[in-house]
Amino acid sequence: MAKTFPIGGIHPADKKISRDSAIVALPLPPVVYISMCQHIGAPAVPVVTVGQKVRTGEVIAEPGGFVSAYIHSSVTGIVKSIAPRADITGKMVPHIEIETMPDEWVDTVDLSTKIACHIPDDPAAIVEAVKQAGVVGLGGATFPTHVKLTPPPGKVAEYLILNGTECEPYLTSDNRIMVERAEEIVVGAWIINRVLGKQCRCFIGIEENKPDAIEAIKKAIGRLNILSGGIYEIEVVALKKKYPQGGEKQLIRTITGREVKSMALPIDSGAVVQNVATALAVYEAVMKHKPLTTNTLTVTGDCLDDAFQRNYLFRIGTPISFVIDQIGGVPENAAKVISGGPMMGKAVSNLDATLVKGSSAILFLTESQTRRPKETVCIRCGKCADACPMGLEPFLLYRLANAANLEELEKYSVQDCIECGCCLYTCPAGLPLLDKIRLAKADVLGAIRSRKK
Amino acid sequence: MGKIIIFTILALSLLGGLLAMILHLVARKFHVEEDSRIDEIEKLMPGANCGGCGHAGCRAFATACVKEMDIEKNFCPVGGNETMKKVAGVLGLEAVTKEPMVAVVRCGGACSVRPTVTEYGGTASCRVKASLYSSDTACPYGCLGCGDCAGVCASGAIVMNPETGLPEIDENLCAGCGACVKACPKGVIELRKKGPRGMRVFVSCINKDKGPVARKACGAACIGCGKCAKACIHDAIEVTDNVAYIDFTKCKLCKKCVAECPTGAIHAVNFPVLPKKQEEQ
Repeated sequence: MAKTFPIGGIHPADKKISRDSAIVALPLPPVVYISMCQHIGAPAVPVVTVGQKVRTGEVIAEPGGFVSAYIHSSVTGIVKSIAPRADITGKMVPHIEIETMPDEWVDTVDLSTKIACHIPDDPAAIVEAVKQAGVVGLGGATFPTHVKLTPPPGKVAEYLILNGTECEPYLTSDNRIMVERAEEIVVGAWIINRVLGKQCRCFIGIEENKPDAIEAIKKAIGRLNILSGGIYEIEVVALKKKYPQGGEKQLIRTITGREVKSMALPIDSGAVVQNVATALAVYEAVMKHKPLTTNTLTVTGDCLDDAFQRNYLFRIGTPISFVIDQIGGVPENAAKVISGGPMMGKAVSNLDATLVKGSSAILFLTESQTRRPKETVCIRCGKCADACPMGLEPFLLYRLANAANLEELEKYSVQDCIECGCCLYTCPAGLPLLDKIRLAKADVLGAIRSRKK
Repeated sequence: MGKIIIFTILALSLLGGLLAMILHLVARKFHVEEDSRIDEIEKLMPGANCGGCGHAGCRAFATACVKEMDIEKNFCPVGGNETMKKVAGVLGLEAVTKEPMVAVVRCGGACSVRPTVTEYGGTASCRVKASLYSSDTACPYGCLGCGDCAGVCASGAIVMNPETGLPEIDENLCAGCGACVKACPKGVIELRKKGPRGMRVFVSCINKDKGPVARKACGAACIGCGKCAKACIHDAIEVTDNVAYIDFTKCKLCKKCVAECPTGAIHAVNFPVLPKKQEEQ
């Protein structure tokens, strides 16, 4: 019996159209624009100068603060400019423009595909290698991984959970890496587990609509255990198909049975959650000394030809327009381009924007899929409260948000909203529940922060 | 029968009297001495409870006035000089006069000059729109056109013009409370001096992009060329971040800058229209 979280959640059609399309490397774009804001926290600071030649894997920007990350060149080429450029939302962010030439990797990188499984013993060295490689959480939040691997003093991780749920409809990149690069992910998971300590138990949670991924990971663990004499104590947990199964708090509840308290971090409940793609990046960083310059991207949509439903290995900084050129342009009846999944992804307002470390998908939606229902009035049906995986009452929060009643909003825990969008998805009145609640949450969090000061 | 009625009347009167006495005594015991001037000032207030003064409503404003005895800091922008003169009278202070202010929309990007480049299908709220992306036009600074400002205006002075997509402020109704300034996520609206007979000159653009970029995004954009600043003899215009700003405390309303602006971004309003003959001479 597949496990799941107890309250809320919705069941959108999973539409994993591109699930069987093997990962192919995206051709080298003529020019890349590498953003300095590819992670949560302070923007990175460029350390290259215009006209300089950089090699693939070379550091081009250093962390701009404690919560920040290194950024490496994803190509070999000449730095053309360092200037602000619009990202997918139109926000101006500094980008390093590099004109590409044939690849010349940095000498330290091991480019062989042989699985390396002699994990270094020193946790501090592992964390340093992860930091130097600029690894960030690839599940969506892009939180610098080295910070997450350094639990605050006094906190002990008892559970390491690898997130292979990929609960958003359409997305298949995590599925593909689990099928194609299972052994690397398992070694990566064990590297993270070693950093967190011997007491830490390791789980990989995968939704049951990905039987091939579950199979591949199980086989990889078996094979690695034969090679190593059984050090990999990793349990694969099949999870029920339900959105948001991959939410950090939901996943912890499902697998460990523990709740993460309001305003607390997962580590307060003794859990650390990492995405499978992050585990892969950690493996490459530690075992192959390869910095995070590539990631997997799903290109999909109902209006896209079957031949173009693809999973690409892309280089960071590739313009979205270049990806779209590879599939013969924007499909005719596409009305909206989304970066990420349909539930939590962002609309791309500018096709010249570039892919970043955390990019997971380019999704094309048709007119009928994007049209919002007409806003009417709340009929108190309570569907949103049933759907909320955090047990909140979105209809109430919506009303309070419209009245800007911050005190009551805080009392009814708007700050616990994970912005999954289940309420908006179920609302028969077409109310912009999440839109308003998200803003109210930001206001309340601001008020809480200023009170602490 | 008569006895019962008399008894009832007597008993109830006695009870009433007794309770009234208790209430009186209690009220005396727990009486809070409150400055009567607070009530007086509150009565003088416009009573909109708009928060334009920075206090949570007119009563809070009146209390602050009496407590701090400062009407320079505590100024009711809605009541204006007239009301504040009366307030000063109540408090026995010298009246402070301030220039009346009016909200001004610093964006001239009407639909006709600022083409939309993406279609926004979300909810009609500027704040929501601004949280999702920069703009549906190529100008990431200008008015988003969803009318959050019109929604918060307690005086009903702001109306969205469906043709231009921009808010229009009726200066006769505008109380200068600044609620719209706070509501605008783009900071497009500014409180400016109303000026003599409502005459004022301002740059109707806040686009910080370089000239060609701004011009491409919007036909009415300030391109930061600096011609106006050169033309100004009162040193009132400053160009920072590719956008000109007219300091209304220095501007003498000479209108020299208006003629210089190549994009028509500088607006002069409420100036009397000169008869044609005179103009020709």
